[in-house]
Amino acid sequence: MSPRLRWFLAGVGAALAALLLALIFMAYQMPELLLDWANIRYCG
Amino acid sequence: MNKSSSWRTPLVILVAGSIILTLAMGVRHTGGLFLQPMTADHGWSRETFSFAIALQNLVWGLGSPFAGALADRHGAGRTILGAAVLYVAGLVLMSQAASPLAFDLSAGVLIGLGLSGTTFAVIMGVIGRHTTPAKRSLALGIASAGGSFGQFAVLPVGQMLISAYGWQSALILLGCGVGLIAPLAYAMADGHQPAGGAGQSVRQALHEAGSERSFHYLFWGYFVCGFQTAFIMLHLPSFLVDAGFTANAGMTAVALIGLFNIFGSFFFGWGGGRYSKKNLLSLIYGLRAIAIAIFLIVPLSTAVVWVFAAVMGLLWLGTVPLTNGLIAQIFGLRYMSMLTGVVFLGHQLGAFLGAWLGGRIFDETGSYLVAWLIAIGLSVVAALCSWPINEKPLVRPAGAPA
Repeated sequence: MSPRLRWFLAGVGAALAALLLALIFMAYQMPELLLDWANIRYCG
Repeated sequence: MNKSSSWRTPLVILVAGSIILTLAMGVRHTGGLFLQPMTADHGWSRETFSFAIALQNLVWGLGSPFAGALADRHGAGRTILGAAVLYVAGLVLMSQAASPLAFDLSAGVLIGLGLSGTTFAVIMGVIGRHTTPAKRSLALGIASAGGSFGQFAVLPVGQMLISAYGWQSALILLGCGVGLIAPLAYAMADGHQPAGGAGQSVRQALHEAGSERSFHYLFWGYFVCGFQTAFIMLHLPSFLVDAGFTANAGMTAVALIGLFNIFGSFFFGWGGGRYSKKNLLSLIYGLRAIAIAIFLIVPLSTAVVWVFAAVMGLLWLGTVPLTNGLIAQIFGLRYMSMLTGVVFLGHQLGAFLGAWLGGRIFDETGSYLVAWLIAIGLSVVAALCSWPINEKPLVRPAGAPA
């Protein structure tokens, strides 16, 4: 595998990982999760 | 490094161990989501539910040294497999529990034991044995980041499952997820030389560690880590609501802690391979004290909350690869799982105290201020305790079992 292709694939992987983390972060804004937050506080 | 089957390369073991930590830590983190639906359906009090989860945390801590010793003595693969079976059984029985006692035994005891054998003590021991000293800290950091990712990612998934299928089916589906640990345990069966024979016994290893001041510093440092993380994770949202913020601000703060925790775990694992681990531990505890002090002093705003959450996230589980790496470095790899389990017990005792004391102080004084001040004081103590740790490998007298 050429170094250029390796860097390209690493970049794609990093971008996909960043996208996944951003999506999960947005999921924390779900109303249901907010409503249940009090429960998490009780249980850790 | 241990020799093992050809396909069990360090990379395979690292990936398998990281996924196991992701699943085990992630599913455990969803526990609180079940409070509302379960107590409503069964007519239980919140205290009934909370007691079982507190019991789970305690069993997790108490079981970790034993799980570590089992892994050191009989192999990590069998230990992880057995613990995964207990974990799945705990989730399935939790979904069927009709009485508080059944709930305590399933959610508290079985899942607690399952966590003991599928999380840091056992997994870090295997990964530690299969990496060179130069790359060990980085590998432990990557595995820690896996556990951090699980805590961050599985919570919304758990919520979606409850919304879509109801809490009972959600528990069984999460049990199916934990069941994936079973095949991964096969990859972790590394053929570690069973302890015993002419070598150091479990009792000798414990006695040796107990007589070393550095081990006590690591234990109490981890205690402080558990105290702070449990206190902040449980009480920060309430603190923010009391300060006039919306519940959404608390949720975003928790999400930011989870997100930055992934990077922090990796970063401090990487740093531990390049710089002194005990100095980095000292730095983490010192920076936590400074961050909390600034958070209390400056006027609160949304930006301040976000920066504080991000900073605390970076400092959150960076202690894991450093503490576990120091145990391997000082005491060697033979009983790494067991000794890691012992210091993790300190973490869980601190977590229990942080969660409980935070609420108690609030009830007594109507404010979290004293609890924050205790968190700062403990952080300073932990920073000072980490500094004199002797991170050189233990020199055993000639002829002594090793």
